[in-house]
Amino acid sequence: MRRSKRFVSEVLSTLKDNIQRTGDPLGLKRVYWTGWAKGLNLQKGGETILLTARMYQMLPYIMQITGLVASAKPFLSRRGLGEIVNMGNRIMGDKIIRFKALGSRELRLKSHNVLKGIVSALGVIDQRPAYLYEDEPYSGVLLYDLGLDEYIEDHIKKVYSLFKTYKVKKIIGVDPHTVFMLKEIYPNYIDNYDIEVKHYLEILSENNQTLKKMCKKSLDKEFVIHDSCYLTRELGIVEQVREISSSLGMTIAEPENTKLDTACCGGPIEYAFRDLTEKVSETRIQELSAISKNIIVECPICLINLRKYEKEMGIKVWDIGELLFEALH
Amino acid sequence: MDIKESQTVRNTLLQEIGKCRACRFCIDVCPAYQASEWVENMSPYGRLQILKYLINGTLDEDDPLIYSIYSCLQCGRCDRLCQAKGQNLDVSHLIRLGKYLLSQGLVKGSKNEKV
Repeated sequence: MRRSKRFVSEVLSTLKDNIQRTGDPLGLKRVYWTGWAKGLNLQKGGETILLTARMYQMLPYIMQITGLVASAKPFLSRRGLGEIVNMGNRIMGDKIIRFKALGSRELRLKSHNVLKGIVSALGVIDQRPAYLYEDEPYSGVLLYDLGLDEYIEDHIKKVYSLFKTYKVKKIIGVDPHTVFMLKEIYPNYIDNYDIEVKHYLEILSENNQTLKKMCKKSLDKEFVIHDSCYLTRELGIVEQVREISSSLGMTIAEPENTKLDTACCGGPIEYAFRDLTEKVSETRIQELSAISKNIIVECPICLINLRKYEKEMGIKVWDIGELLFEALH
Repeated sequence: MDIKESQTVRNTLLQEIGKCRACRFCIDVCPAYQASEWVENMSPYGRLQILKYLINGTLDEDDPLIYSIYSCLQCGRCDRLCQAKGQNLDVSHLIRLGKYLLSQGLVKGSKNEKV
């Protein structure tokens, strides 16, 4: 709690600076978000696109950044030293983070499988969205969460103009935070906002019977569902994941706080307050693991926050996209 | 954010926070409050009070208050509770608006920078 003001100031300034410089919250200049799509032959650009907004692909880097921020916190909180650390971030941050993230191969593979699973599932119900590859933008959700509204408008307008360049009419989102931004926040900044936005679980659940028929293997296990705060309370997407899971042959159990009363994974504040995040996620993982050792999540932030207990508690955290990959390959 | 806009946000916040009946049911469901081992400043109700006193000038922005506001997870459990209790305040949205006001003074290079 000591020197929180200066520390929060450094975090906000770095985030703003990263997005203004590179369009990316992590400030990474090199394209790191297209590797998963290799070999899938997705069309580049079109009326309907799949928007990952880099969220799953970011996970190996987020792991490194939160670790680096936690160790640099004593410096970041001091006058002068914070500026030196930030200057270092601008010059070398990109290389250091990418180098350190090389060790997170397992997480990278996991996030790639989530996205491949989603594309495969959409494919079996005859939905073949295009992808923007290296032009794919970040939604700006962190700017919104942290109250940096002054800088959101500019970012949103750039993103919307990119969609218009590609003549996008419909977006299929893969993570709750991006879908929330595009559906609820973008229309406040764009006059006559005319893009239809859906989460992939909504589309799959509308075609659940076809999905069921096309499954190559049944995932005959018991799973407990950890609902995402944004997906349930903000977007009202609650039953869809349960319907899809049943179609994949899974038995679903409910934890203590579930559906619209779901409890947070602690993730949204991990960038700055790691101790508090860990306490929140520990409480949640205990609730979940008391019901089943196999846990389903629907959000990249929940995935990264809850999977860190896998070894310690002998549990396995699956994203629903990963389970779609398992069932369809 | 210009002065006029900033004043509108302040007025909206004071007006909405004024509707809180202080039933305090929201505090028990807040994950950050639970994790902080029952420090009321870390609860939705506590955060609204902090914002109220920051806006009317009773309190100054200091480290613990900034920590309280920015540690809100924006998970929205308090909103649901407030709705269930009939008051229907969009608590997490109000806290985010508070972050919006504070962030102006915290971002380096912003014309309102205070740090």
